[in-house]
Amino acid sequence: MGILPDEIKPAMQGVIPSHVVTCSRDGTPNASAISQVYYVDADHVALSHQFFNKTKRNIEENPRAAVWLISPETFEAWDLELEFVRSETSGPVFDVMEMQIEAIASIVGMKGIFKLRAADIFRVTAATKAVGERIPLTEIRAPR
Amino acid sequence: MRGMIPDRVVEVLHGPSWIQIGTRDEALQPAHAMAVGAAVHHDRRTVTVFVPTARASRLLRDLASNGRIAVGVSLASHEAYQLKGTYVSSKPTDDAERAHQEARRNSLLASALEAGYPEAIARPLTMGLAYTPGVAITFRAEEVFLQTPGPGAGTLLS
Repeated sequence: MGILPDEIKPAMQGVIPSHVVTCSRDGTPNASAISQVYYVDADHVALSHQFFNKTKRNIEENPRAAVWLISPETFEAWDLELEFVRSETSGPVFDVMEMQIEAIASIVGMKGIFKLRAADIFRVTAATKAVGERIPLTEIRAPR
Repeated sequence: MRGMIPDRVVEVLHGPSWIQIGTRDEALQPAHAMAVGAAVHHDRRTVTVFVPTARASRLLRDLASNGRIAVGVSLASHEAYQLKGTYVSSKPTDDAERAHQEARRNSLLASALEAGYPEAIARPLTMGLAYTPGVAITFRAEEVFLQTPGPGAGTLLS
């Protein structure tokens, strides 16, 4: 049995952007949005690498990352702790992510800007619900 | 001037923006939390962000230990910026700050609907943001970066 529970999968559909925090070798954190966190298996996820940015450079210096996800079904948020394993620029994970990134780009008006360069595979070292960050759905008032 | 927050970034920080905080511990393990609301001080370098108390303990531990903080701020349009700086102080949020946060959630809902999110997603996404009890975390910005997706992302603005 892996670290990621089945109930986290809807949070990985790319409906609501996720966030990733990385840290450089000199100890400077970096916070960024990310289009997609892809479920590879119960112990691994893939992050979309779309730009040659600080997140990518930090991962090369320090393999650790923190990711925040939210389910568009339950609106529960999750924290993941990750460790970088490898980048893939072809293969089944890359192909599916590339297709999904194109779909996301089309929906959010970023076609031509969002382009998958690599699927960065990470091992999940911890997955926990972000307790205290969300108000339960039952307590949110409907509009009058 | 280095760390001086540009006008547009102040507008975004004070507007219907999504705010994420990044810190790290002594082993360089990063941590994340969402903030609900931010206030830029008159010096245009000092910023206070508001975090639910239940999510603040790890951040405050990291900040007490090494002081390093990154704050990402983005609009529904994908316009985004990042501030990097050094921790100054923290305190429980007060009534005025809680009122600011309540207004922020309402403006986030309006902007999400305007951006085309269906009500079934926009309302729980925004009104589900917990904010009380909260902690006001103040830091001094030292660098401001453009982070809107595209070729200019990562450009140092200040």
